[in-house]
Amino acid sequence: MGDSQRRSDAGFRAKNLAWMQASIGLIGFAAVLELAPQLGLVSPRYLPPFSVIAAALANELQQANFWAALAFTMRSWAIGLTISVLAGASLGILIGSSAWLQAVTRSTIEFLRPIPSVALIPVAILLFGTTLQSNLVLVIYASFWQVLVQVLSGVQDVDPVARETAQSYRFGHWALIRHVIWPTTLPYLMTGIRLAASVALILAITAELTIGTPGLGRELSLAQSGGAVAVMYAYLIVMGLIGVLVNVAARGLERSIMPWHPSLRSEQPV
Amino acid sequence: MGRKTPLKFAILALAAVPLLAGGAVAADKVTVGVIPIVDVAPIYLGVAKGFFAKQNLEVTLQTAQGGAELVTPVMTGQREFGFSNISSLLIAQTRGLDIVAIAAGASSTGETGRDFGAIIAPRESPLKSAKDLDGKTVAVNNLKNIGDTSVKAAVRKAGGDDSKIKFVELAFPDMPAALSNKLVDAAWIVEPFLTVAKEQGAKVLAWNLVDTAPNLMIAVYFTSGKYAKENADTVKRFTTAMNESLAYADTHADEVRAIVPTYTRISKEMIGKLTLPRWPTDMNRKSTEILADLSVKDGLVTKKPDLAAFFR
Amino acid sequence: MKGGQTLRQAGLALGLPAALLATWWIASSGSANFYFPPLQTIAQTFVEVWVSPRLLDDVVPSLARLAAGYFGAVVLGLLIGIPIGLSRALRNTLEPVLEFLRAIPPPALVPILILFAGIGDTMKTLVIVSGCIWPVLLNTVEGVRGRDEVLEDVTRCYRIRGFARLWHFVIPSASPQMFTGLRQALSIGIILMVISEMFAASNGLGFAIIQFERSFAVAEMWTGIIMLGLIGIGLAQVFRLVERRMLAWYHGLRQSQRAGG
Repeated sequence: MGDSQRRSDAGFRAKNLAWMQASIGLIGFAAVLELAPQLGLVSPRYLPPFSVIAAALANELQQANFWAALAFTMRSWAIGLTISVLAGASLGILIGSSAWLQAVTRSTIEFLRPIPSVALIPVAILLFGTTLQSNLVLVIYASFWQVLVQVLSGVQDVDPVARETAQSYRFGHWALIRHVIWPTTLPYLMTGIRLAASVALILAITAELTIGTPGLGRELSLAQSGGAVAVMYAYLIVMGLIGVLVNVAARGLERSIMPWHPSLRSEQPV
Repeated sequence: MGRKTPLKFAILALAAVPLLAGGAVAADKVTVGVIPIVDVAPIYLGVAKGFFAKQNLEVTLQTAQGGAELVTPVMTGQREFGFSNISSLLIAQTRGLDIVAIAAGASSTGETGRDFGAIIAPRESPLKSAKDLDGKTVAVNNLKNIGDTSVKAAVRKAGGDDSKIKFVELAFPDMPAALSNKLVDAAWIVEPFLTVAKEQGAKVLAWNLVDTAPNLMIAVYFTSGKYAKENADTVKRFTTAMNESLAYADTHADEVRAIVPTYTRISKEMIGKLTLPRWPTDMNRKSTEILADLSVKDGLVTKKPDLAAFFR
Repeated sequence: MKGGQTLRQAGLALGLPAALLATWWIASSGSANFYFPPLQTIAQTFVEVWVSPRLLDDVVPSLARLAAGYFGAVVLGLLIGIPIGLSRALRNTLEPVLEFLRAIPPPALVPILILFAGIGDTMKTLVIVSGCIWPVLLNTVEGVRGRDEVLEDVTRCYRIRGFARLWHFVIPSASPQMFTGLRQALSIGIILMVISEMFAASNGLGFAIIQFERSFAVAEMWTGIIMLGLIGIGLAQVFRLVERRMLAWYHGLRQSQRAGG
């Protein structure tokens, strides 16, 4: 009784310590941001003190156009991510369930995957201008590959013994997918969704920055055009916070669906 | 029968109200692509004052950052009208896009010493005039566009050699910093950054827009040839409302200064200090001719723009 | 039999891409669409545009900046990541800040970096570093943190410390994860190379593509996009070859594990 009490105490203290250290890190970071411009280490015209940035941020949060922009960004993100996940997962499982399809598509996937999504920016501008579709072109193109590649990895990881057993029991194509492939692939799909979620957010904001579709990226660009440097930094902070939230939410989703699988799901070095 | 009749009348009366109140027909919805800058204040003012509603037009303004983002939606029919700098439009036309200018956009004030755009250099710079720009680095917001064309014209007018200037593309907001950090020797800059730079001590080397052509028309409102042909009446009404807006803006500077902060991030204090462009209602074909010739000379285009088609 | 197998492999590898290209060629051959010229026109324009001094003027500077930024990020990422991975205290302190900084989209930093670093090659290289460093850093931390505990005890027993421990145990143990980071950094690097040239540039592949787009030179723009795609593919292949050699021991290990060893 005393031993386990001491161990849980130690665990509690360790967790407390971790929280303290994290707080120190964050506070230290804010302190650097505040002092560097105040002390003149950096010109305050190019890096306003943290307090000024925070004030600008508080001001932005009260503007309607901020929330509208946020809604636009999240809309591109959500729609693009959903389409990418659905397309990537279904295509991945379809291809992965047949050795022949895998062989035929492998080279095409390897050709297309490394093409940077930003190459499509001029095409998107030319075709869709500053509409949602422009954003989606970039978001979907980039996130789709994240999901597809992970799902394909997952399918390849299916236990060959299980697959052969299913075949000897004459499982049909569908049954094979449902009972053998899907359970093994699910953790990989979760990883793919997590990766795609961050990529989708980054591309949505990048599209808004470079093309000018409404959203956080465009607000940043407008702030730059107006010379409002503190507001620019405020938007950077917002983008960072949302990115962290998306990541935390994705990890939470992963954990809730696969609480028993954390170790196997690190990205495959392929 | 007796009790139902008042109800029937009531329903008929209610149904008639929209028909009577709306006048003849519902307004035509049009979208106009604009850049959120001072130049487009007239159309914002015109919408606010009801000049477009008067022409039975319901105008939605969509902002974009420039160039193809304004031209493509108009050419593909996603948008009816757009606002763009005239060089971009001339270049697009030589590439095969059928663009028709329908109203003047914004023009230089034509006054040396007081314009909304100029070539500036840092206070300590040894450069004194446009003539000294030979071999120097000049920032413009878009390469192979009105920026470098007008800078070269200014250099030639001052008697200098324009062939060895090195142009660098920078967004206007980044120019004051680039100047003070000596990343470029000079910059072509427009409001509100011109005032920002002058407040930081920059000096004006030349008023390049004035030097390029008298009362240079720098931007126009445009549509596609296809739309103009199929909707001549709508275009006519738009032009009428636009001209009314331009005339109003040109004579009511205070209202312009009041409306600009509502669609840009320019503060109220800043807008009071800026030099506003001029907004004449006649499209300046002469200055466009000069610009077209310069475009060929400076290699922006491979063939001369067809101004007859452009202004039809 | 061998010849037949090689033929079959080649057929599988080239079949779908060839079919897709043929479809594009045929479908676009009579195209009057301003934005999608015939593939034949694009192919001809490609030679005109890129088999020329432009290769030296635009592509080489772009790749040079990419190399500088990428390797700079790798060095920084490893130098910072290894100590953080080794020390739980450092990890706990810095992780929230790093997670936050990493979440900021690198293109959004370009306007800020212009303020600090101007508009030349330094700025563009910094943009690439600022984006590439995160996958390298975070994967290094992960890889170092997840080092084999049994082997760690072994090094302790044999009193292998300091640099030897680092070189013979920590780094090899972390290298598969590190390579994941290096690969991600490469794709991010290419993206940032293009974006950094869209903002304030006077040469470069991204710059050329955007200039084409701005002046409505559509066929030329497509050739630029294709060139960018080819570079992406090429670099990915080079990376694969390097990784396969350096991680040969790891791949062999996993293969035998999977075979049921």
